[in-house]
Amino acid sequence: MAINRSSDHESDENTRLYHPYQNYQVPIKSQYLYKLPTSPEFLFTEESLKQRRSWGENLTFYTGTGYLAGSVAGASAGIFSGIKSFENGDTTKLKINRILNSSGQAGRTWGNRVGIVGLIYAGIESGVVAVTDKDDVWTSVVAGLGTGAVFRAARGVRSAAVAGAFGGIAAGAVVAGKQVFKRYAHI
Amino acid sequence: MGTPESSREPCPDRILDDVGGAFAMGAVGGSAYHLIRGIYNSPGGARLSGGVQALRMSGPRSGGSFSVWGGLYSTFDCALVYARQKEDPWNSILSGAATGGFLSLRQGLGASARSALVGGVLLAMIEGVGIMLNKVQSTAHNEQFMEDHAATSLPYGMGQISGQSVPVPETSSSSSGSVSWFGSLFKKKKETEDHHSESRTHILESFDAPPVPTYEFK
Repeated sequence: MAINRSSDHESDENTRLYHPYQNYQVPIKSQYLYKLPTSPEFLFTEESLKQRRSWGENLTFYTGTGYLAGSVAGASAGIFSGIKSFENGDTTKLKINRILNSSGQAGRTWGNRVGIVGLIYAGIESGVVAVTDKDDVWTSVVAGLGTGAVFRAARGVRSAAVAGAFGGIAAGAVVAGKQVFKRYAHI
Repeated sequence: MGTPESSREPCPDRILDDVGGAFAMGAVGGSAYHLIRGIYNSPGGARLSGGVQALRMSGPRSGGSFSVWGGLYSTFDCALVYARQKEDPWNSILSGAATGGFLSLRQGLGASARSALVGGVLLAMIEGVGIMLNKVQSTAHNEQFMEDHAATSLPYGMGQISGQSVPVPETSSSSSGSVSWFGSLFKKKKETEDHHSESRTHILESFDAPPVPTYEFK
Protein backbone atom coordinates (compact mmCIF):
# COMPACT_ATOMS: atom_id res chain seq x y z
CA MET A 1 0.00 0.00 0.00
CA ALA A 2 2.75 2.35 0.93
CA ILE A 3 4.54 1.93 -2.36
CA ASN A 4 1.32 2.43 -4.25
CA ARG A 5 0.50 5.59 -2.40
CA SER A 6 3.83 7.20 -2.93
CA SER A 7 3.65 6.67 -6.66
CA ASP A 8 0.09 8.02 -6.70
CA HIS A 9 1.21 10.99 -4.78
CA GLU A 10 4.04 11.66 -7.17
CA SER A 11 1.90 11.46 -10.27
CA ASP A 12 -1.29 13.26 -9.25
CA GLU A 13 -0.92 16.52 -7.41
CA ASN A 14 -4.64 17.28 -7.25
CA THR A 15 -5.72 14.23 -5.30
CA ARG A 16 -2.86 14.00 -2.89
CA LEU A 17 -3.44 13.04 0.72
CA TYR A 18 -3.93 15.79 3.22
CA HIS A 19 -0.74 16.89 4.90
CA PRO A 20 -0.80 20.25 6.67
CA TYR A 21 2.82 21.21 6.22
CA GLN A 22 3.26 20.10 2.65
CA ASN A 23 4.62 22.75 0.27
CA TYR A 24 4.56 25.25 3.07
CA GLN A 25 8.01 26.79 3.01
CA VAL A 26 7.97 30.43 3.92
CA PRO A 27 8.04 31.86 0.41
CA ILE A 28 4.90 29.92 -0.52
CA LYS A 29 5.07 29.10 -4.15
CA SER A 30 2.06 30.65 -5.78
CA GLN A 31 1.34 27.54 -7.78
CA TYR A 32 0.62 25.67 -4.55
CA LEU A 33 -1.46 28.35 -2.87
CA TYR A 34 -4.90 27.32 -4.05
CA LYS A 35 -4.23 23.72 -4.86
CA LEU A 36 -5.87 22.58 -1.67
CA PRO A 37 -6.16 18.83 -1.15
CA THR A 38 -9.56 17.46 -2.02
CA SER A 39 -9.32 13.96 -0.55
CA PRO A 40 -9.73 13.19 3.14
CA GLU A 41 -6.67 12.34 5.14
CA PHE A 42 -7.63 8.70 5.58
CA LEU A 43 -10.30 6.87 3.63
CA PHE A 44 -9.91 3.52 5.37
CA THR A 45 -8.92 2.72 8.91
CA GLU A 46 -6.14 0.44 7.71
CA GLU A 47 -4.54 3.43 6.12
CA SER A 48 -4.50 5.37 9.36
CA LEU A 49 -2.99 2.38 11.13
CA LYS A 50 -0.34 2.12 8.50
CA GLN A 51 0.69 5.74 8.51
CA ARG A 52 2.36 6.44 11.79
CA ARG A 53 4.84 8.90 13.19
CA SER A 54 8.36 8.72 11.86
CA TRP A 55 11.01 7.35 14.18
CA GLY A 56 12.37 10.79 14.96
CA GLU A 57 8.96 12.17 15.91
CA ASN A 58 8.29 9.01 17.88
CA LEU A 59 11.52 9.51 19.80
CA THR A 60 10.90 13.14 20.63
CA PHE A 61 7.26 12.50 21.52
CA TYR A 62 7.80 9.64 23.96
CA THR A 63 10.94 11.12 25.46
CA GLY A 64 9.49 14.58 25.85
CA THR A 65 6.24 13.33 27.32
CA GLY A 66 8.12 11.08 29.71
CA TYR A 67 10.55 13.74 30.82
CA LEU A 68 7.88 16.40 31.31
CA ALA A 69 5.51 14.07 33.16
CA GLY A 70 8.29 12.67 35.33
CA SER A 71 9.74 16.01 36.27
CA VAL A 72 6.36 17.61 37.00
CA ALA A 73 5.32 14.66 39.16
CA GLY A 74 8.69 14.54 40.90
CA ALA A 75 8.75 18.27 41.53
CA SER A 76 5.27 18.28 43.02
CA ALA A 77 6.11 15.30 45.22
CA GLY A 78 9.26 17.12 46.26
CA ILE A 79 7.28 20.18 47.34
CA PHE A 80 5.36 18.03 49.82
CA SER A 81 8.45 16.30 51.14
CA GLY A 82 10.06 19.71 51.51
CA ILE A 83 7.10 20.98 53.50
CA LYS A 84 7.25 17.87 55.68
CA SER A 85 10.89 18.48 56.50
CA PHE A 86 10.24 21.87 58.10
CA GLU A 87 11.63 22.22 61.58
CA ASN A 88 10.76 24.54 64.40
CA GLY A 89 12.50 27.87 64.17
CA ASP A 90 12.98 27.84 60.40
CA THR A 91 12.97 31.29 58.84
CA THR A 92 11.01 31.93 55.67
CA LYS A 93 14.18 31.92 53.62
CA LEU A 94 15.13 28.52 55.03
CA LYS A 95 11.66 27.17 54.28
CA ILE A 96 11.78 28.38 50.69
CA ASN A 97 15.21 26.84 50.30
CA ARG A 98 14.03 23.52 51.68
CA ILE A 99 11.13 23.43 49.21
CA LEU A 100 13.29 24.46 46.26
CA ASN A 101 16.02 21.97 47.08
CA SER A 102 13.80 18.97 47.58
CA SER A 103 11.49 19.68 44.65
CA GLY A 104 14.43 20.38 42.38
CA GLN A 105 16.17 17.19 43.32
CA ALA A 106 13.09 14.98 43.06
CA GLY A 107 12.03 16.57 39.80
CA ARG A 108 15.45 16.09 38.26
CA THR A 109 15.71 12.46 39.38
CA TRP A 110 12.26 11.42 38.24
CA GLY A 111 12.45 13.39 35.02
CA ASN A 112 15.69 11.70 34.05
CA ARG A 113 14.37 8.27 35.01
CA VAL A 114 11.09 8.48 33.11
CA GLY A 115 12.75 10.27 30.19
CA ILE A 116 15.20 7.42 29.79
CA VAL A 117 12.32 4.93 29.92
CA GLY A 118 10.59 6.88 27.14
CA LEU A 119 13.80 6.99 25.09
CA ILE A 120 14.36 3.23 25.37
CA TYR A 121 10.69 2.50 24.65
CA ALA A 122 10.63 4.69 21.54
CA GLY A 123 13.82 3.14 20.23
CA ILE A 124 12.63 -0.43 20.72
CA GLU A 125 9.19 0.27 19.30
CA SER A 126 10.59 1.90 16.18
CA GLY A 127 12.99 -1.02 15.79
CA VAL A 128 10.22 -3.60 16.16
CA VAL A 129 8.01 -1.79 13.65
CA ALA A 130 10.90 -1.52 11.21
CA VAL A 131 11.65 -5.25 11.49
CA THR A 132 8.15 -6.73 11.53
CA ASP A 133 6.38 -4.01 9.49
CA LYS A 134 3.34 -4.27 11.78
CA ASP A 135 1.97 -1.96 14.42
CA ASP A 136 -0.52 -3.51 16.82
CA VAL A 137 -0.88 -4.41 20.48
CA TRP A 138 1.96 -6.92 20.33
CA THR A 139 4.41 -4.28 19.15
CA SER A 140 3.71 -2.26 22.26
CA VAL A 141 3.90 -5.34 24.47
CA VAL A 142 7.26 -6.34 23.03
CA ALA A 143 8.54 -2.79 23.35
CA GLY A 144 7.38 -2.58 26.96
CA LEU A 145 8.99 -5.92 27.75
CA GLY A 146 12.27 -4.86 26.22
CA THR A 147 12.16 -1.49 27.96
CA GLY A 148 11.67 -3.06 31.39
CA ALA A 149 14.41 -5.60 30.77
CA VAL A 150 16.92 -3.00 29.57
CA PHE A 151 16.05 -0.54 32.32
CA ARG A 152 16.66 -3.08 35.08
CA ALA A 153 19.42 -5.01 33.27
CA ALA A 154 22.12 -3.98 35.72
CA ARG A 155 20.29 -5.41 38.73
CA GLY A 156 20.57 -9.01 37.59
CA VAL A 157 18.61 -11.42 35.46
CA ARG A 158 15.77 -11.95 37.89
CA SER A 159 15.07 -8.29 38.38
CA ALA A 160 15.28 -7.68 34.64
CA ALA A 161 12.79 -10.47 33.97
CA VAL A 162 10.34 -9.12 36.53
CA ALA A 163 10.65 -5.59 35.20
CA GLY A 164 10.28 -6.83 31.62
CA ALA A 165 7.10 -8.71 32.47
CA PHE A 166 5.76 -5.66 34.27
CA GLY A 167 6.62 -3.38 31.34
CA GLY A 168 5.02 -5.71 28.79
CA ILE A 169 1.82 -6.04 30.82
CA ALA A 170 1.68 -2.29 31.45
CA ALA A 171 2.16 -1.39 27.77
CA GLY A 172 -0.44 -3.93 26.68
CA ALA A 173 -2.87 -2.65 29.28
CA VAL A 174 -2.38 0.94 28.14
CA VAL A 175 -3.04 0.05 24.49
CA ALA A 176 -6.04 -2.12 25.36
CA GLY A 177 -7.39 0.58 27.66
CA LYS A 178 -7.00 3.15 24.90
CA GLN A 179 -9.01 1.02 22.50
CA VAL A 180 -11.73 0.37 25.06
CA PHE A 181 -11.83 4.08 25.82
CA LYS A 182 -12.13 4.91 22.14
CA ARG A 183 -14.98 2.46 21.65
CA TYR A 184 -17.13 3.26 24.66
CA ALA A 185 -16.39 6.88 25.45
CA HIS A 186 -17.21 9.06 22.48
CA ILE A 187 -15.45 12.33 22.69
CA MET B 1 8.71 39.11 7.58
CA GLY B 2 5.81 38.65 9.90
CA THR B 3 5.05 35.12 8.87
CA PRO B 4 5.10 32.54 11.62
CA GLU B 5 7.91 30.13 11.23
CA SER B 6 6.60 26.99 9.62
CA SER B 7 9.76 24.93 9.48
CA ARG B 8 9.23 23.98 13.12
CA GLU B 9 6.19 22.84 15.00
CA PRO B 10 3.59 25.46 15.87
CA CYS B 11 4.14 27.03 19.20
CA PRO B 12 2.82 25.12 22.19
CA ASP B 13 3.78 21.77 20.65
CA ARG B 14 7.29 23.04 20.07
CA ILE B 15 8.02 22.82 23.79
CA LEU B 16 7.34 19.09 23.94
CA ASP B 17 9.27 18.57 20.75
CA ASP B 18 12.29 20.48 21.99
CA VAL B 19 12.27 18.77 25.39
CA GLY B 20 12.18 15.35 23.80
CA GLY B 21 14.74 16.13 21.14
CA ALA B 22 17.14 17.72 23.60
CA PHE B 23 16.80 14.86 26.06
CA ALA B 24 17.40 12.27 23.35
CA MET B 25 20.41 14.14 22.01
CA GLY B 26 21.89 14.71 25.42
CA ALA B 27 21.27 11.19 26.64
CA VAL B 28 22.66 9.47 23.55
CA GLY B 29 25.64 11.79 23.20
CA GLY B 30 26.34 11.83 26.91
CA SER B 31 26.10 8.05 27.08
CA ALA B 32 28.64 7.61 24.34
CA TYR B 33 30.97 10.17 25.92
CA HIS B 34 30.75 8.72 29.41
CA LEU B 35 31.08 5.14 28.17
CA ILE B 36 34.35 5.96 26.42
CA ARG B 37 35.55 8.02 29.36
CA GLY B 38 34.65 5.26 31.81
CA ILE B 39 36.44 2.63 29.75
CA TYR B 40 39.50 4.86 29.55
CA ASN B 41 39.57 5.70 33.23
CA SER B 42 38.79 2.27 34.69
CA PRO B 43 41.56 -0.03 35.88
CA GLY B 44 42.48 -2.92 33.60
CA GLY B 45 40.25 -5.95 33.97
CA ALA B 46 37.19 -3.90 34.93
CA ARG B 47 37.13 -1.63 31.92
CA LEU B 48 33.83 -2.67 30.41
CA SER B 49 31.93 -2.77 33.69
CA GLY B 50 33.42 0.57 34.71
CA GLY B 51 32.41 2.09 31.40
CA VAL B 52 28.87 0.78 31.69
CA GLN B 53 28.62 2.06 35.23
CA ALA B 54 29.78 5.52 34.18
CA LEU B 55 27.22 5.43 31.37
CA ARG B 56 24.38 4.50 33.71
CA MET B 57 25.32 7.19 36.18
CA SER B 58 25.93 10.08 33.83
CA GLY B 59 23.98 9.39 30.65
CA PRO B 60 20.53 10.31 32.00
CA ARG B 61 21.98 13.26 33.86
CA SER B 62 23.40 14.86 30.72
CA GLY B 63 20.12 14.19 28.94
CA GLY B 64 18.31 15.91 31.77
CA SER B 65 20.45 19.00 31.70
CA PHE B 66 20.10 19.28 27.94
CA SER B 67 16.36 18.98 28.12
CA VAL B 68 16.04 21.52 30.90
CA TRP B 69 17.81 23.96 28.62
CA GLY B 70 15.72 23.01 25.59
CA GLY B 71 12.44 23.09 27.42
CA LEU B 72 13.02 26.42 29.13
CA TYR B 73 14.36 27.90 25.91
CA SER B 74 11.32 27.01 23.86
CA THR B 75 8.97 28.00 26.68
CA PHE B 76 10.52 31.46 26.75
CA ASP B 77 10.48 31.50 22.96
CA CYS B 78 6.78 30.79 22.82
CA ALA B 79 6.08 33.34 25.54
CA LEU B 80 7.99 35.95 23.55
CA VAL B 81 6.20 35.01 20.34
CA TYR B 82 2.91 35.56 22.08
CA ALA B 83 3.99 38.80 23.73
CA ARG B 84 5.65 40.40 20.71
CA GLN B 85 3.38 38.87 18.05
CA LYS B 86 6.24 38.13 15.71
CA GLU B 87 8.94 35.57 15.16
CA ASP B 88 12.39 36.87 14.49
CA PRO B 89 15.96 36.18 15.63
CA TRP B 90 15.54 38.50 18.62
CA ASN B 91 13.12 36.02 20.14
CA SER B 92 15.75 33.31 20.13
CA ILE B 93 18.45 35.57 21.48
CA LEU B 94 16.26 36.94 24.25
CA SER B 95 14.98 33.53 25.24
CA GLY B 96 18.52 32.14 25.28
CA ALA B 97 19.51 34.93 27.64
CA ALA B 98 16.40 34.38 29.76
CA THR B 99 17.11 30.67 30.00
CA GLY B 100 20.69 31.20 31.05
CA GLY B 101 19.66 33.76 33.61
CA PHE B 102 16.80 31.70 34.99
CA LEU B 103 18.88 28.57 35.43
CA SER B 104 21.47 30.28 37.61
CA LEU B 105 19.04 32.50 39.47
CA ARG B 106 19.75 30.78 42.76
CA GLN B 107 23.46 31.58 42.58
CA GLY B 108 22.72 35.28 42.92
CA LEU B 109 22.04 38.16 40.60
CA GLY B 110 25.63 38.59 39.43
CA ALA B 111 26.04 35.00 38.38
CA SER B 112 22.61 35.11 36.79
CA ALA B 113 23.47 38.16 34.71
CA ARG B 114 26.75 36.61 33.62
CA SER B 115 25.17 33.39 32.43
CA ALA B 116 22.32 35.31 30.80
CA LEU B 117 24.98 37.14 28.80
CA VAL B 118 26.61 33.84 27.85
CA GLY B 119 23.26 32.38 26.79
CA GLY B 120 22.36 35.41 24.72
CA VAL B 121 25.71 35.51 22.94
CA LEU B 122 25.55 31.79 22.25
CA LEU B 123 22.11 32.00 20.73
CA ALA B 124 23.06 35.13 18.78
CA MET B 125 25.94 33.22 17.23
CA ILE B 126 23.70 30.29 16.36
CA GLU B 127 21.10 32.62 14.84
CA GLY B 128 23.76 34.46 12.88
CA VAL B 129 25.03 31.26 11.33
CA GLY B 130 21.44 30.24 10.55
CA ILE B 131 20.69 33.55 8.86
CA MET B 132 23.83 33.31 6.76
CA LEU B 133 22.96 29.77 5.65
CA ASN B 134 19.45 30.95 4.87
CA LYS B 135 20.75 33.78 2.71
CA VAL B 136 22.92 31.41 0.74
CA GLN B 137 19.99 29.07 0.19
CA SER B 138 17.44 31.73 -0.60
CA THR B 139 19.51 33.34 -3.32
CA ALA B 140 19.45 30.02 -5.15
CA HIS B 141 15.81 29.46 -4.25
CA ASN B 142 14.69 32.92 -5.28
CA GLU B 143 15.87 32.58 -8.86
CA GLN B 144 13.94 29.38 -9.25
CA PHE B 145 10.93 30.94 -7.55
CA MET B 146 10.89 33.84 -9.95
CA GLU B 147 11.07 31.49 -12.93
CA ASP B 148 8.15 29.42 -11.65
CA HIS B 149 6.32 32.56 -10.87
CA ALA B 150 6.61 34.06 -14.31
CA ALA B 151 5.36 30.86 -15.87
CA THR B 152 2.27 30.08 -13.86
CA SER B 153 1.33 32.71 -11.38
CA LEU B 154 -1.02 35.20 -12.94
CA PRO B 155 -4.32 33.42 -12.37
CA TYR B 156 -3.35 32.46 -8.84
CA GLY B 157 -1.66 35.67 -7.81
CA MET B 158 -4.80 37.77 -7.92
CA GLY B 159 -6.46 36.60 -4.75
CA GLN B 160 -5.25 37.34 -1.27
CA ILE B 161 -5.79 35.33 1.83
CA SER B 162 -7.13 37.58 4.52
CA GLY B 163 -5.29 37.46 7.79
CA GLN B 164 -2.42 35.43 6.44
CA SER B 165 0.64 37.07 5.09
CA VAL B 166 1.49 35.91 1.65
CA PRO B 167 4.70 36.81 -0.11
CA VAL B 168 3.48 39.62 -2.31
CA PRO B 169 4.57 39.01 -5.89
CA GLU B 170 6.52 42.18 -6.23
CA THR B 171 9.82 42.83 -7.88
CA SER B 172 11.65 43.86 -4.73
CA SER B 173 11.99 40.24 -3.63
CA SER B 174 14.20 39.53 -6.60
CA SER B 175 16.50 42.43 -5.85
CA SER B 176 17.58 40.93 -2.54
CA GLY B 177 19.47 38.31 -4.52
CA SER B 178 21.85 40.81 -6.02
CA VAL B 179 22.61 42.94 -2.93
CA SER B 180 25.25 41.88 -0.44
CA TRP B 181 24.31 40.06 2.74
CA PHE B 182 24.49 42.99 5.05
CA GLY B 183 22.79 45.27 2.57
CA SER B 184 19.90 42.92 2.18
CA LEU B 185 19.70 42.51 5.95
CA PHE B 186 19.09 46.20 6.41
CA LYS B 187 16.91 46.44 3.36
CA LYS B 188 14.70 43.66 4.59
CA LYS B 189 14.20 45.40 7.87
CA LYS B 190 12.97 48.54 6.18
CA GLU B 191 10.74 46.53 3.93
CA THR B 192 8.94 44.86 6.78
CA GLU B 193 8.17 48.23 8.25
CA ASP B 194 6.68 49.35 4.97
CA HIS B 195 4.39 46.38 4.76
CA HIS B 196 3.48 46.39 8.40
CA SER B 197 -0.23 46.63 7.95
CA GLU B 198 -0.25 43.77 5.50
CA SER B 199 2.25 41.36 6.89
CA ARG B 200 1.52 41.70 10.55
CA THR B 201 -1.47 39.73 11.68
CA HIS B 202 -3.59 40.50 14.68
CA ILE B 203 -2.96 37.19 16.45
CA LEU B 204 -0.37 34.80 15.17
CA GLU B 205 -1.83 31.81 13.39
CA SER B 206 -0.01 29.31 15.53
CA PHE B 207 -2.29 30.17 18.39
CA ASP B 208 -5.62 29.71 16.70
CA ALA B 209 -7.26 28.08 13.75
CA PRO B 210 -5.91 28.76 10.28
CA PRO B 211 -7.76 31.49 8.42
CA VAL B 212 -10.36 30.58 5.86
CA PRO B 213 -9.17 31.62 2.41
CA THR B 214 -11.47 33.94 0.51
CA TYR B 215 -11.51 33.87 -3.23
CA GLU B 216 -12.40 37.49 -3.79
CA PHE B 217 -10.64 39.36 -6.52
CA LYS B 218 -9.13 42.63 -5.63
